[in-house]
Amino acid sequence: METSTPRVTCAYLNSYVGKNVMIVGKVVQIRGEDAIIDADGNIPCKLNRDAHLSPGNGVQVIGKVNPDLSVKVLSSLDLGTGVDYNLANTVVEVSHQHKSLFAYD
Amino acid sequence: MASYGGYQRTGYGAQGGDEGGGFMSGSQQGSQGQSKRSTIDEYLRPVTIKQILDAKAGYSESEIAVDGFAVSTVTLVGQVRSVNPQTTNITYKIDDGTGGTIDVKKWVDLEKSESGAETPFSLDTWVRVLGRLTSFNGKIHVGAHHVRVIDDYNEVSYHLLEATYVHLCISRGLPGGPWPHKEGAVGGGGHGGGDSDSMFIDGGNGYGTASGAGGDSRVASCSRQAKSLYQFMQSDPRSIEGINIADVMGASGMSKRDILAAADELLGNGIVYTTVDDETWAILET
Repeated sequence: METSTPRVTCAYLNSYVGKNVMIVGKVVQIRGEDAIIDADGNIPCKLNRDAHLSPGNGVQVIGKVNPDLSVKVLSSLDLGTGVDYNLANTVVEVSHQHKSLFAYD
Repeated sequence: MASYGGYQRTGYGAQGGDEGGGFMSGSQQGSQGQSKRSTIDEYLRPVTIKQILDAKAGYSESEIAVDGFAVSTVTLVGQVRSVNPQTTNITYKIDDGTGGTIDVKKWVDLEKSESGAETPFSLDTWVRVLGRLTSFNGKIHVGAHHVRVIDDYNEVSYHLLEATYVHLCISRGLPGGPWPHKEGAVGGGGHGGGDSDSMFIDGGNGYGTASGAGGDSRVASCSRQAKSLYQFMQSDPRSIEGINIADVMGASGMSKRDILAAADELLGNGIVYTTVDDETWAILET
């Protein structure tokens, strides 16, 4: 019943193939429906129709990890320019060290 | 070294809530539990939604516990996933990605709503919620005192780290020194392999004393020995008439000299007093 969307960075993607994850990163590039998001490493993303991303801004993406480690975006949220990416990456690390607070297996 | 190590372990055990090693056994934890329960209304606990959902199991309707601590007032963050406005309240489903959604009920102030109705928060915005956990028909929801929009996403990161920090403080004791475990990475990087042993002892030490101080501010400025003597006396019901030095030695494994020095310190601070003779002490209740 409970569905968690674990917070991940690029390095964790291969452990979550086929699962829904949450990524916080910086929009590096947008080309049509393809975008690259930097979350401690570049992640190729396939956007959905209602995604409104701006290059250079922070973004929170919830999406499904494909076998090729790209992410199919289900929902996205523009976070503006003031995002501390180091902090967001630290949260990812901490959330994996203390899974009891952050995710169901 | 051997007796020293033994002493340390007991301090740690009593605080960590493991099987109570040594002299600080059940009664100490019991008395702590009570004092915690009486303060549940006075503290605000940052939590993740998963912690609340997990808190369901095994606790009665009236009491909700996270990490074994009764909790009533919480603060949490989450994205609004659904909005359900009713005449008396607005129910939001809030999701922070840690495991499903939780219902947050914000009661509508009828007087205010006549002049200008509260506008519900729009979907997918991050909000900060401050409210009281309520269990109804086995389902926990949050009765919100306050809900506001989070403008700066870093607040979300901050909250998640704060929730983790509080979780660790509760499950492992206050950070009086470096964390004694390898998860110390949270506190700021792992320690060098070569002296990790000594780091553990130092860490364990600071850990024990700091958590002791957390238990009672009266001995916060005292030495380690004085704290452990005080904790031992607190845990022992005989301390009403006074505990003799022989009993302390037998149960705690501290040396006579250490006990006398510790007792001197506690006497000097007016925390204990002598009863039947110079080597029998009782705690001075405040």
